[in-house]
This record gives sequence, C-alpha cells and structure tokens, in this order.
Amino acid sequence: MAANDQNDDGHDTGNLPDLGDAIDILTFSQILEMDDSEDDREFSKSIVFGFFEQAEETFEKMDTALEARNLDELYRLGHFLKGSSATLGLTKVKDSCEKIQRYGKKENLDGSPEKDEALCLSRITETLKTVKAEYADVEQTLKNFFNST
Amino acid sequence: MPEGDIAAVAQGAGNNSSDFVRKLYKMLEDPAYSEVVRWGNEGDSFVVLENEKFTKTILPKHFKHSNFASFVRQLNKYDFHKVRHNEENGQSPYGASAWEFKHPEFRADRKDNLDNIRRKAPAPRKAQAAEEQFGVSNQQVLVLSETLAATQQQVQQLQESYHEIVNANKIFVDEILHLQKLVRAQNQVHNELINHLNKAEQERKDARNPGHSAGYTSNTSNLLSDGSESPLELRRARDILNSLQVDHVADRDLNRMSVQLHQVGGSPESAGSSGMMGPPGVGGVNPFLHDPLNDMRHLVYPVGQTVGIDPFAAEHINNLPYNRPVQENAMGPGHEFNGPSMHSQTPPGAASQNGSPWGSKKPVVLLVEDDRTCSRIGSKFLAQYDCGVEIARDGLEAVNKVNAKQHYYDLIFMDIIMPQLDGVSATAMIREVQPNTPIIAMTSNINQQDLETYFHWGMRDVLAKPFTKEGMIGKLRKHLANFLRNPPQESMMDSMYPNGAQGQPPTPGPYSNQGMGMAPLSAASSGAVGKFDTTPIQSPATSASWHSPGQMPHASPTMAQDQGYLGAGSGSQMVLTPGGTQKPQYANTMIPQMGVPPPQRIPDGMQRSDGPPEKRQRLYAPQGNYNQ
Repeated sequence: MAANDQNDDGHDTGNLPDLGDAIDILTFSQILEMDDSEDDREFSKSIVFGFFEQAEETFEKMDTALEARNLDELYRLGHFLKGSSATLGLTKVKDSCEKIQRYGKKENLDGSPEKDEALCLSRITETLKTVKAEYADVEQTLKNFFNST
Repeated sequence: MPEGDIAAVAQGAGNNSSDFVRKLYKMLEDPAYSEVVRWGNEGDSFVVLENEKFTKTILPKHFKHSNFASFVRQLNKYDFHKVRHNEENGQSPYGASAWEFKHPEFRADRKDNLDNIRRKAPAPRKAQAAEEQFGVSNQQVLVLSETLAATQQQVQQLQESYHEIVNANKIFVDEILHLQKLVRAQNQVHNELINHLNKAEQERKDARNPGHSAGYTSNTSNLLSDGSESPLELRRARDILNSLQVDHVADRDLNRMSVQLHQVGGSPESAGSSGMMGPPGVGGVNPFLHDPLNDMRHLVYPVGQTVGIDPFAAEHINNLPYNRPVQENAMGPGHEFNGPSMHSQTPPGAASQNGSPWGSKKPVVLLVEDDRTCSRIGSKFLAQYDCGVEIARDGLEAVNKVNAKQHYYDLIFMDIIMPQLDGVSATAMIREVQPNTPIIAMTSNINQQDLETYFHWGMRDVLAKPFTKEGMIGKLRKHLANFLRNPPQESMMDSMYPNGAQGQPPTPGPYSNQGMGMAPLSAASSGAVGKFDTTPIQSPATSASWHSPGQMPHASPTMAQDQGYLGAGSGSQMVLTPGGTQKPQYANTMIPQMGVPPPQRIPDGMQRSDGPPEKRQRLYAPQGNYNQ
C-alpha cells in the first residue's frame, strides 16, 4: 500500500512513504537515508531482509523455548527481537516483543511480578501468535516496498 | 615390709634389741666420752654435751658416719625425744648447747630393757610423711586448680575459635569450589568464543571476496583490517585466558570472608555497633575475641598460653582496612577495575580538513552489539559520519579487540545484554587497559539502578535503544569533541539532522549539569562510599548469603551487599541469566532525575524525534565528574 509513495521519499520528512501504522516512518526513514542510491536501496534492503531472516529464526527459537517452557530464553529472545524491530521502527512487532520479554521475565505488563509461570507462558503463547501476524503484515508491506523499488 | 624390720630380724637373731640401741648404750658405757656424751644425771636420758666433737669423733667410731642430723633422725625412729628445757624447767642443766635425748625404756641401769626399744612402726611413720607432703602441696593445689580453671576456660575459647574456623573453612571451601566453577565456566565461554571468532574470521574472509554491495563497503573495509589482525587477537585472548588470576581473587575473597565471618560469629551486636572502618586501633572492634582474651591472660598466669589466639585476633584486625578494596576487586569479572583513574579524552587533532566533521584524524569506533540489524545500522550511521567502525558481536569479542589493538578505538558503543559476556563486564575489563576511552552503553533498560551500575563500571554515557542516527552522532560529537574540526558548531550539527527542528543540539554544553549523568554518577560513587561504611553492619546478612553459594547468578558474595553493583557483580550473571540482572520495578522507577518521559516504556514512545533524542542528550555523565 505504500509502494506508490516510494519515489518521493527522501530527506524531506514531509514526503515519507506511507507504510502504515505498524511502521514508524521516522525511524524507518533513517535507514532509508543511509542508502547511497534511492534506486536500488542497497543498504536498507539488505538490512530489512536481514531482519526478516533474523525474525524468522527468532520466532522458531521462541516456539522451541515455549515448548520447553523456558521463560528465560523467551525473555532473551523477546529482548533480542525487540532491539532490531525497534531499530527498524517496526512499532507493533517491537511492542509485542517487549510484552514477550516482560512475560518471560515473569512480570505483568505494568512491570509487577507475576509468579504464575503457566500464566506467563500462556500469555506468551498468545502474544507470539499476535507478533507473528504483525510481523507477517510488515514483512509484506516492506517486501512490497522494496520489490517495487 | 620395710627394710628396717628385715634388718632387725637379720641382726636381732634371738633378741629383739636393735643394733642401733646397743651401739648407743655401748657408746655411753665408755667413760672416755663423758666430756662429750654421757648419761644424764638421773640416768634416764643421755646428753650430747659437745655437738661438734661428738659428730667428728664419736659418731664415726660407733655409727660409721659423721652426720649429727642423721643420728637425731635415727633416735627419732626409735622414739627417742629431745628434752626441751626452755619451757618450765628453765635452763638445761647440761648447758644451752647440749642435746638431751630420752626414751622411757632407755636407762643406764636397765641394759636388759634395751630390747623393748624398737623402731617405730613403719606405717605411722609413712603416714606422717605423707601428711607433711600434703601440707606442702595444699598451696600447690590451689595454684593448680586455678590453673586448671584458667586452662579450661582457655580450652573453651579455643573450641569456640575452632568452631568459627571450621565454619569459615567450610565457607571458604564452598566459595573456592564455586569460584572454580565460575572460572571453569568462563574459561569455557572464552574458548567457545575464540573458536567462534576463528570461524567468524573465516566467514568474513570468505564473505569479503565475493564482494558485497556498495552499502556494505564501509563495513567490509573495516572487517578487512579486522581480519588481518585476528590471529593476534586470538592469541591475546588466549593469553588473557592463561593469565586469569583466579587464585589471587579467591584468596582475597576468602580473606575478607574470614574477617567478616569472625566479626559476625563473634558478636553480632558488637560487629554492628563498633566502627569497623575506623582506625585499626581496635579497642572495641571485636570484644568477643578481645576482652575474654585479656581476662584469660590474667587467669592463665601460671601457664601464659594466650599465644595463638592473640596474634590471631590481631591479624584480623589488621585485615580490616584492606577488606573493602579487596571486595571491590573481587567483584570485577576476574580483574581489577580501575575506573576511578579515568582521565580525560584522547589528544586533540586540530588540523582542518574539508568534507568531514573530523579534524586531522578520524575517530575509530567500536560498536559492540549482538543484534545484526542494530549493528549494521549503527555502523552505517557511523560510517556515514566518516568514522572508522568495527563491530564486536558480544562483550568478549569487544574485550579481545581492545586488547589486541590498545588505544586503537577512540570510542566504544556497548550493548548491555549480550551473549557470552555482557556489556557491563566487558566495560569493566576494558577499563583495565583503556581507562580513558569513552564507552557508551546502548540499552533500552534505563532505570536508575541500571544507570548507576553502568556508570560505576566505567561507562561514560548512555545511548537509548533503539538508537537513532542523531543520537549516536550526538554522543560521538560530545565524547570526541577533540576530534572535531570545529567543535562547537551547533548549526552544522543541526543541518545533519533530518529532524533537526525537533532534535536536541547534540553538544554537551547546555545540558552538562542537569543531565542524568550527574545524578546516577554521584549516587553511584556515594553509594560505594556508603557501602564501605555500612557493610559491617550488614555483615550478618552478608555472611548469610555466603552460606548459599550454590546459585550461579549470585556468583560473588559481594553481590548481596549493594544492589548498585548488581549488574556488574559478576560477569557470568548477565551471561547466564540476562533477566536476573534486572530490577522488578523496571518500568515504575524510571529515572526520576531525567525529567523526561521514558520513551521506551510508553507504548507509543516510538517517535524517535521527540522522546529518545531529548533523553539522550541528557543522558551523559559529565566526564570531569567521573575523574573525581
């Protein structure tokens, strides 16, 4: 949906591509600015596609950790993916990762401790579904964006 | 039975009279001795008139010795008694120096009666002797029983000391084992990392040849130089492994523990109330050990064996002043941390050049980040700002890189939570060799406690994650001001920012006194001081925590003492359980001093241009401040 704007993006914040509310465009545009050429978007594309790999790997690990009921690992993985998704401005994915991180740390969303591990795990299960869907969404958006470049 | 009887029987042979009595009678029959010894006037006693002559001339003749005392003893044995004259009968009729002896049966006219004069029965005689000895030893008994009591007390003291020592030993052993475990784990980690590095180097070399894209060139060129250095790095890494001064640290740890254990075991209230950190002059430092010992010294005067306890106590007292520094050292990830000795920046490069924000020398930045996406973006930002960039994937790689190329990196951006070795531990280690290089934490975990930890362990500043280009470059300009061609040009900086209108000027000036850095920093340092003061008071609790050294996350016993050290308390902690290092209050205690809403915690705080840059500008530690 954002593809039609891509030719206008650039250093002017007023002309950023519209990538939807799942992506923070100010953040993402910083990556785009790093491209030497707006025609091939070599850098940002490699970053974004690198992130795709990373995210998919991480989701797999999260699934495994969830099966193993390994909250520590889930915390770590949530933190990890939160960092990269935040750097790209993938707001929704980042927020969900933060939730996973928090649940993995046996906390409620407000940061208060949650002793019920089963509850944490089930929350992570739900959030993981959500984040995967959110990820699929932005992945599609970004792929469209870069493929149409 | 006694030999006397046997002798009497042997010699008596028919009559019971004693040889001695006969000799005595025979001697008195001789009138030649009348001037010296003779029968008394009544004939019922005999008198030694001239003691000296008698001893020298008569005794040898008749009794084959010349010992008057012996003669008197012999008389006593036969129940002769000396006649005393000085009481009612006045002066002796034979002169003051005369010895008159008398036996009821011994008379001049009764030679036949001699047989009735016998030695006194041996038993009474012996009993009497024993009685005499008792008389003498009653005093000794008193002394002995006193000594015994003292000794018993001493033994009791020794037993108590012994039990304390046994306890201490147990803890020592636990601690040593635990430390060894830690060291082994770390060694393993290191080895893993070296292997990983080897592999990574190989991969990079491989990757470099196919030649990536234009966007990757800056990375690649850095990796190139990196690659050529790698064997050296790895060698250095192994050197570090080999030179780990594990025993050293453990020893001092144990030493400290023993001191505190005794303080605690001795008397908790005294440990709490007395100023342990005061001058080691010590009067009341350890009443438990000390005062009883003084008492003991009085009690044990016959024995005087307080030795072995006294030096013992003194030793511990002497240890007190060294206690705290050891503690601090022990907390470092295996090495000493010399953060306080940090100095100012690297020398300025003043020459002018066009086309680059930097002067004659471009800064080289080490970006330590385990997340590929972040590290690539970050290095891209930096490269575009004309910096040399190298990347380390975790704390250990960073440490190795810094060790391999000392003074090569001008600034380090350091992620906190990373595999193998966390950023705080890595910083502490890097500080050993590079006390001055600015190290900037990159983290989304910004709460007071974490910040204190970061600053305490030698980080200069914090860059909030997700970082932005302007945030990163702001830090660069602030900490590498000496590298800048025109240090104070804010207008130029603003033009660098796409969101310049909203972004805060990155120069340190306006904010250097109000920012985060100040508060956590001073808090951290005062925390450290306060800790030293208060630790003895807390020591019961502290030692209690030593009794459970099983959990790896609480690796160092010092962990329990001050939460301010939490993150860096042990490198392995963050490595093993990243979550363990974080405070539960995480979101609620967001940096009150910041005066800025914490963007990371606000659901929609992703507006990079609003929240984070502003916060970032405030998040530095004034450098001069740290030097104090």
